[in-house]
Formats: sequence, C-alpha cells, structure tokens
Amino acid sequence: MMSHDQYDAIAALDAIGAADADEASALHAHLASCPDCRRARDEYAEAASLLARDLDPVDPPRQLRDRIFKSIDRGNVVDARERFGISRWWMAAAVVFLALWGWRELSVRMMREKVNSRDADIRRLAGQNQLLTARNEKLSAEMASLASRDTRTIALTGQQVSPSASAKVFLEPQQRRAVVFFYNLPPNAADKSYQLWILRADQPKPQSAGIFDVTPSGAASISIENLPLATEIKGLAVTLEPKGGVEQPTNTNFFVAGST
Amino acid sequence: MTAAMNTSVQTSSLLPAVAHGDMGAFEQLYDRHSSTLYALLLRILSNPDDAQEVLQETFVKAWTNAKMFDSVRGSDVAWLISIARSRGIDRLRSRRIRGDREDEAGREISGSFGFVEKRTGADDAIQSEERSAVRSALAELPESQRVALALAYFEGLSQSEIAERLGEPLGTIKTRMQLGMKKLRERLKAFR
Repeated sequence: MMSHDQYDAIAALDAIGAADADEASALHAHLASCPDCRRARDEYAEAASLLARDLDPVDPPRQLRDRIFKSIDRGNVVDARERFGISRWWMAAAVVFLALWGWRELSVRMMREKVNSRDADIRRLAGQNQLLTARNEKLSAEMASLASRDTRTIALTGQQVSPSASAKVFLEPQQRRAVVFFYNLPPNAADKSYQLWILRADQPKPQSAGIFDVTPSGAASISIENLPLATEIKGLAVTLEPKGGVEQPTNTNFFVAGST
Repeated sequence: MTAAMNTSVQTSSLLPAVAHGDMGAFEQLYDRHSSTLYALLLRILSNPDDAQEVLQETFVKAWTNAKMFDSVRGSDVAWLISIARSRGIDRLRSRRIRGDREDEAGREISGSFGFVEKRTGADDAIQSEERSAVRSALAELPESQRVALALAYFEGLSQSEIAERLGEPLGTIKTRMQLGMKKLRERLKAFR
C-alpha cells in the first residue's frame, strides 16, 4: 500500500500529465476516498496553471470570438423571469412528488449509497490491482537484471555514519539499468529520504538516481532506468536528504558508497 | 507576497453564473481568459489555425460543462487552462501520430515559457500584475526543473521521453519535476 507522501509525489506529476498510467490510475482510485490527497491534487493543478499563466497573452482574432458565441446554443440561456416561473412550478411538483414518493426516494438513496460504496471499493481494488501488476512487472524487470549474463555486481560499503550498512548493485550495462539492494541502513525520519547518487566520470556534479525509505530492519531496494553508460559511472553513494529529495546533495555524510 | 498579488490572483469566479446560463458572464469569462488560453495553445501547437480550433472547443466545453466546476477546488482560469491544455496535447499527439510535425526532432529545449508574440492590446492592469507575480514564482525554479516541467506540460512528453531527450536518468527527472511542482505549489499557497 502506498503512503500519502507517495500519492502526493504522483499527484505532483499527474497535474502536468507526467505520471505513468499505472501511477495515475492508482492515484485516481485513491483520491475517491482521500480528501487530503484530493486537495493536494487540486493544489498541484492550480500550481500547474502557473506555467500557462506565465506566457505573454496573445489576443485571438476577433472573428473567433464571434464564431464561438454563435456556436453556443443560445437556447440554453435561461431568461430570469422564465427561470423563476419554472422553478416555482418545479417546487410545487417537487412537494407533490416528495409526498407521494418519499419512502421510495429514501430507499433509492440507500441503494445509491450502497452502489456508490461498492463503486468506491471497485475503484480502490482496481487501483490496487493495477499497482500490483505494475509491481509485478517491476519485479520481473529486476529479476531479468539479476539473471542476465552481462550483469555486473558492485558492492557499496558502510561509511563512517553507518559502518554496518551495505548495498549490492546489479548493473546491466546493455539495458542501462540496475537494481540496488540496501541492508542495515538506519531508519530514516519521517521528514527525510535516502537519496542515491551516481558519481559520473564525465560530469562534475553527482546525479540523483532516486529516493527511497527503508523498512524498520534497514532494508530497501531501488531500480534505476536509463543509466549513463557504464564507462561514465565512477561510483555510487547514498546520503540522507529532506523528504522528496534534492537536486544536489546537501551533505557529504555518505551512508554507503563504492566505486565501479 | 504582496497585497497586490493577493488581489491579482483571486478574482471573482464567473463559472457559477455561466452554469446558470448567464451569457454576459460567459462573455466576461472569454474576455478575461481567452488571450491566456490562446497563448498556451500557440505554445503547444505552434499553429494558429489549430490553436483557434482548440480554443473554440475549450470555450464550448466550458459553456456546456460549467456546472461541473467547483470553485472550492480551484480558480476559473486553472479550470479553463486544464481543459485547453488537455485538448491541445491531444491534438499535438494525434498530429505526431500522423507525422505532421516537421520540427519535432529539432525542437528547441528551453526553460523559458515566454512566447515571442506579444499581445497587441493594452494589458489589463490586474492581469499584468498577476503575470509578474507568476513570473517571479517561476523564476525561483532552477533552470533544470523549468525545462523538465516545460517538456511535460507544453509538449506532453512522458517521464521516460524527457529522460531520453535530456540524456538523464529517469529517477533524476522524476525527482526534478516533483521538486519543481512542490515549489510552485508552495509559492501559490504563499500568495493565496
């Protein structure tokens, strides 16, 4: 089951249309039952609109305005007096309707609530199913990385801040992907994430390869796609960073590190 | 953020009146936001004919679906932008499938969101204030985050496509976009 932080991270991407299909459907299933995450998603959508509002406005041609207003069905415009008349009629009709069919309305409402609740369950289960499918695919890809003939293994060792920690990297150079397993890392605080860095021979600054949290036993795994060429990877290291990760490491307290 | 920004960002919502069939409110809605939406569609589609067609679809949809708008969940302009962007990206993708786009491969990657064609009429003072507030919010994002967000938002590229285009690991791109969006959201909260 994903945490609210993970849903929040997906909501950020979903607002600009960049969430994966699996992530997006899991998020939307979750939103049906989580007002906090729904609010976060709405706020991201509002934030995304800033990207458009930054553009210099350009007036569309005047004829377009006319065309749009002509294409709108003016029959839908309700005259205020007419609307008042209609609403009075509807109010009277509604009273009669409620008097005659009140009990039935109540049962319909109860049935509807049941249906809605089942729909929400179905959506939630569908989301979980998609998530499990995605995880299954990820595991299959990881297994393929582990089992490939070309896979290289790199050991990352615990550093001064966590001498007993370690990690194993299974690097598949042909596919430019890797799976990393971490052991004995200290549990990270709720406002912190571990972040894996790639130290490159061809670039002065390290590159983020992803963020992760550890289980209470200090274990974690992460898969990395679209890696640089193997010859460009000088080493890998892990730091503890603010929740959600950062562009560049904020400290040099490596928890595990190693060179290729 | 300044008081000016408060007033600029929060303008009264017209969509509830539009939902009740108020054509005057709809005209006001068009006059207030059409130039922003048109600029967005030109940025996405790079073609005035397509941009005008999608702009028309956007406003027709706004008219018919206005009752679905909930002002508690967001602003008029964000709702309209989301319709226009989604339709614009759909149009862009169908063009890509048809292979109409000649300049796709050589499209310039830029962190600037600005479109070169300026609006010729006198900008409304409120809109102008709002835009400078928005611009300062975006200026706080590092270039690398702006570029990644722009590729997703204006070109409809997936995380993997962006990673491929920029030659960076997928994890880097994902983190970069998430951080950029979090910053924008915090900034938006600050001037609400």
